[in-house]
Amino acid sequence: MEDIKIKEENKTIAEGDPSDDEDKKDIGKITSLKSLGPFIASRENSQNTVYLSDVPAVCKDKPCMLGVDEAGRGPVLGPMVYGISYCPLESKQALIDLGCADSKQLTEEKRDVIFNELNTLEYANSCVGWAVEIISPNVISTSMYRRAKCSLNEVSMESAMGLIQQAIDAGVNIAEVYVDTVGPPEKYQEKLLRRFPNFKITVAKKADSTYPIVSAASICAKVTRDHALKVWRFPEGLVIKDNAFGSGYPGDPVTKRFLTEHIDLVFGFPRLVRFSWSTAENALANKAYDMEFDEPDSEKPKYAGTKLTKFFKGTTKDGEVIREECRFFKQRHLSNVFEF
Amino acid sequence: MSITLDFNGKNLAKGKSLHLHYLPAKISGDGEANVETYFNNYTREAPDYGSGMLNNALRGYPLVGERMKVPEGYKGLVLQETEKPLSESADRQLRLTGVFDEFTYWNYDKVPSNGDPFRQAMLMADVAKALSEPISEQDLEAEIRRNLESKKENDS
Repeated sequence: MEDIKIKEENKTIAEGDPSDDEDKKDIGKITSLKSLGPFIASRENSQNTVYLSDVPAVCKDKPCMLGVDEAGRGPVLGPMVYGISYCPLESKQALIDLGCADSKQLTEEKRDVIFNELNTLEYANSCVGWAVEIISPNVISTSMYRRAKCSLNEVSMESAMGLIQQAIDAGVNIAEVYVDTVGPPEKYQEKLLRRFPNFKITVAKKADSTYPIVSAASICAKVTRDHALKVWRFPEGLVIKDNAFGSGYPGDPVTKRFLTEHIDLVFGFPRLVRFSWSTAENALANKAYDMEFDEPDSEKPKYAGTKLTKFFKGTTKDGEVIREECRFFKQRHLSNVFEF
Repeated sequence: MSITLDFNGKNLAKGKSLHLHYLPAKISGDGEANVETYFNNYTREAPDYGSGMLNNALRGYPLVGERMKVPEGYKGLVLQETEKPLSESADRQLRLTGVFDEFTYWNYDKVPSNGDPFRQAMLMADVAKALSEPISEQDLEAEIRRNLESKKENDS
């Protein structure tokens, strides 16, 4: 029964009927699964968006555990979402009752149900709080393509630490932190401990299936990512029926087709695509105009003193004198142009 | 070889006003571009980099830019050649596509500054002015007098 109801709600979100007053009522707050889509749609999708749920009163008094997980790290399309959730150490049972278990084992529908119950049922929302950061694909590309390259891992860690900090600022009494990681846990743990020395911090692979609080964070992140794709509106003016661009994984034929069919000769792709993924780079090669940026100054200054042969270099073979360009013009990047 | 600029210099003000972008990339292609929806749509103010600074991205590469004016006394023109000359000696004809007084200058992940080659090259406008400006008799006499005086000082 529940499942069917949720599915219907999803439908209205996906259709995005603008005349639906209920969707517009309070777009600044996510109070149920239904308000998630409109909230995301009301934000600029080329920038990051952070959302914090209200902090349940008990989380300010009692020592809490906090879980961190991400969704959408691998796909070439759409945002990556970081999620945290927290509840008092003694309220673990509420998480289990909600069904927060290994989120990989849960279907999309089941995750939607849990997310909705987490926000609407009294026994849950009175002790569990959550927050997400939607990291825009535009931000992912521009971070990874900076002159001083910023890896996806750095972007991730910054986001995770930023969310924990926001929870602290909102008054959550954090005692323990659990983080799911794909990379080596030791380095990550060390970095987190340096920033938050007062917490008991556990970084582990597959923490998602071990700690219910991480599962809850994972569900928030995954549901948010799924909805972000569903309500994605292209500032480029593209309209894709049902936003059917596939999972975003390079192997997905729907995604592959989307990438080949929506190439702009000059600008490449709409900014739903992460340009910094090799899948995207390869799809553009030979299909769009070649584009060459002035790459970082990797050239080291060559200086090894004046070369002995320098004095013989002033003339060409036929004795013509090569005049060196006036330094004034050279330094200002000015030169004569005969052809244009 | 002669090059004909096929437009009336007096009617420049009537030329189609263009909104141009100076991009830090070499694009091997020529033709129309969806600038409005794929680019202008995403230009945002970036006060963190200083007043008047803007940011955007091109194929995922971060850009920092600002609005710039064409040097005073100058007018920006976009000229187009419809037929490429067959040989170096062939006559050429350039037509006016549009005019501009302002454009947006973009750097790749670097705040625009006086260190940018473009801004340094713009000094040419001042040099050209100094070189081509008519000199009045009085200026000339004053300069000669100054030279004589400094010579005297050096001699004594």
